[in-house]
Amino acid sequence: MGYPENSGYMVAAYTIAAVVVLVYSVTLYFRVRRYRDR
Amino acid sequence: MAGNLLTATAAIARKDLKVEWRTKTAFMSSLVFAVLVLAVLYFARDKTSVGDFDIAPGALWVTFTFAGMLGLNRAFLLERENRALDGLRLTPVTPTALFLGKVIGNLIFLGVVELVSLPLFILFYDVPIWRQLPILLAVVALATVGYVAVGTLLSAMVVRTRFSEVMLPVLLLPFLVPPIVSAVQLTWRILALRPLSELTGWLSLLAAFDVIFFTLSLLLFEAILIE
Amino acid sequence: MTRRERALQTARRGGLVTVIALVGLAVVYVRAIAFTPIERTQGPAQKIFYVHAPIAWATMLAFAVTGLLSLLYLTMRDRKFDLMAAASAEVGTALGIAMLTTGPLWAKPIWGTFWTWDARLTSTLFTFLLFVGYLVLRGALSDFEVRARFSAVLGVMALVLVPFIHVTVYWFRTLHPDPVVMKPEGPSLPAVMLTTLLTSLIVCTVLYIGLVMQRYALAVLEDVREEEEAGDGIS
Repeated sequence: MGYPENSGYMVAAYTIAAVVVLVYSVTLYFRVRRYRDR
Repeated sequence: MAGNLLTATAAIARKDLKVEWRTKTAFMSSLVFAVLVLAVLYFARDKTSVGDFDIAPGALWVTFTFAGMLGLNRAFLLERENRALDGLRLTPVTPTALFLGKVIGNLIFLGVVELVSLPLFILFYDVPIWRQLPILLAVVALATVGYVAVGTLLSAMVVRTRFSEVMLPVLLLPFLVPPIVSAVQLTWRILALRPLSELTGWLSLLAAFDVIFFTLSLLLFEAILIE
Repeated sequence: MTRRERALQTARRGGLVTVIALVGLAVVYVRAIAFTPIERTQGPAQKIFYVHAPIAWATMLAFAVTGLLSLLYLTMRDRKFDLMAAASAEVGTALGIAMLTTGPLWAKPIWGTFWTWDARLTSTLFTFLLFVGYLVLRGALSDFEVRARFSAVLGVMALVLVPFIHVTVYWFRTLHPDPVVMKPEGPSLPAVMLTTLLTSLIVCTVLYIGLVMQRYALAVLEDVREEEEAGDGIS
């Protein structure tokens, strides 16, 4: 192991990106769904 | 044709300036604002590490930027108050003339504010600009033209919204990055008595911005006038 | 098919594309974390690159699309282009948030600072700010025609502006060398890393497309609903 110990940043970034993408995708899906049942 | 354009443009500019001259509210506010910003920026630094010379160009252009916003807002606010823009559309004034007239009115307004602020700037910051005055004025003029062209277009749009005083800066400030950064770079080089060769790069960027965005704003203005 | 039915179909297809992209994103995550080697000098944090760079690309793509659709709207005055431009703007803003949060998290361990005002970062930041301004402007205008025209004007202006900002900041820095020394990403990526990056790039592009399809469908559905309500108002 010669590399710097910075996996904390990686975990944080990957988590945030996933959260942002998922939250937006899911809320968008539900926003559309409100118009589906009419 | 050109004669009509000229007369219409002049008429609009003259009308705007006359109305403003009657109360002088926006003008006085901009002026007082300019003085205050210059003063605050002068004191808002550690004098031992940031010299007058270092902060002066930035202070000058921050001042002009914000004083300019006040002036731009006022231009179409007049019209909104009395639905006068609809009235204007009924006259045979072309969108081009309307845009140019507004721009010239704004340029004169802002120009006067700048010309009055400049002596104050010299006073507060003790920078040697007398020899460089012509080229400095040219830079101020160039940057102001680009600023006013885009600002006139955006303020025409924003005046229809409820929070136009906040919306204008939000939309306009990104557009000010190229001209203001160029202006600040040119100002400090001019004050530092740098050779002309160091100025040409930023001057061409500023000129390119002006040409492209003046034309663009002019062309797009028509799309903003709703029947 | 009515306009509403067409929109619902677009929404369904968009949803499918999005799901495919999300699965793809999961695959990229696994591949990047478990099956792509750790870069010796930069450590695990370098892997943020596989997520950050493709998202940044998608954000800029969204911006360009909004700008071009704005131009199309101004020339052809077809409602469709306005709704699509707005859809791209909203999706771009969401992706932009992911971009602007992952970026500094990558920069701190790799460059030593969370932020630096270089040409690329500044341009992407201002792209995001212009997006936000675009959406705020739209939110403040209720009449369809006015909103469409004004945002289209802003969209076109913004598209022309971003290259100017890029050049301005580039010159600013070239003439004022930054004290922070920035490590380059490396002259060339080894094949396994390149594959991860490219896969991620494709996934993020597909994600963008799926989300825009859905958002556009939503915009059409909202538009149809408004027209119906306006019609009921008269009778």
